[in-house]
Amino acid sequence: MANAVQAHESVAQADAHAPHAHIDHDTNTGISNTKLGMWLFLASECLLFGGLITTYLLYKHPLEGPTPKEIFDIPFTSTSSFVLLMSSLTMVLAVSAIERGDHQRLRIWLGATALLGATFISGQIYEFTVFVREGLGFTTSRFSSAFYTLTGFHGVHVTVGIIMLMSLVLLSLRGKLPEHRSETVEIIGLYWHFVDVVWIFIFAVVYLIP
Amino acid sequence: MAITSHDPIPTSQLDGAVKDYSRDKVYVLTALFLGVLTVVEVLTYAFPDFPAWSGNLVIAVLMILMAIKFFTVVYIFMHLRFDKPILSWIFWAGLGLAAGVYFVVMCTFRIFWPGSHG
Repeated sequence: MANAVQAHESVAQADAHAPHAHIDHDTNTGISNTKLGMWLFLASECLLFGGLITTYLLYKHPLEGPTPKEIFDIPFTSTSSFVLLMSSLTMVLAVSAIERGDHQRLRIWLGATALLGATFISGQIYEFTVFVREGLGFTTSRFSSAFYTLTGFHGVHVTVGIIMLMSLVLLSLRGKLPEHRSETVEIIGLYWHFVDVVWIFIFAVVYLIP
Repeated sequence: MAITSHDPIPTSQLDGAVKDYSRDKVYVLTALFLGVLTVVEVLTYAFPDFPAWSGNLVIAVLMILMAIKFFTVVYIFMHLRFDKPILSWIFWAGLGLAAGVYFVVMCTFRIFWPGSHG
């Protein structure tokens, strides 16, 4: 019995400290089903955001109401973009921390990621409030509808990500996130990074390209 | 001494694989690189007459910067570079399908034809 427990610990330790991408799972692909599922989900998300971005590009020249050039506050949005970009760094450091078995740093980095995400969302809410005050409501023009739908959908994704990050922090605090479950953190990290790359695209196409 | 899931494992007991965690430095440098690219993107807005991106050139410059940032995050932060090729295939298939479908949609709406907006 004692040997079995020791063997289990050894496997758990080796599992935790092996480079993550090299772990072979007992599936046909050698990849865990949850990770494969997340990548398939992210691939499908490309189609969702592709549709929203295309709709925005088709309708970006409003027939009525304020134009993008009149209302966009590029320095403010640039700061928000930078904040979201840095949250990808804290996320990847959280994954690295749990792979090392450093649970305290895991919680710090997860908390920092959630905080940066919340800062981004606060900025987006502030931006929307300013736009509405300046006369750009959801139904003001086809441009405004496309803009709010695109950026709003992205904001919802960030919010879902924050909820998942906070859930991970709670799981870790309760001791339910041992090193051998580090893939859970990695999978949520994949979602978070995807939300970041979508914003990289939105920031350039919607805000910067004239 | 028994090690629980809450304790950091002592360095003396770590196997050789831990060397891979010098990756943290790579992550920080990658973030700095992405930050610099973002600054360049913002500069295209602040100084629109700068020769490197004046006129319509700004669109090409921004698209290139965006693509570099996109692939950097996907390959390094999302570990696609280190992971099994099937995951790359899945992701690029989704992205390629989206790009193809919506390119056709935009052509259908004649978005690339001059004077066809609005």
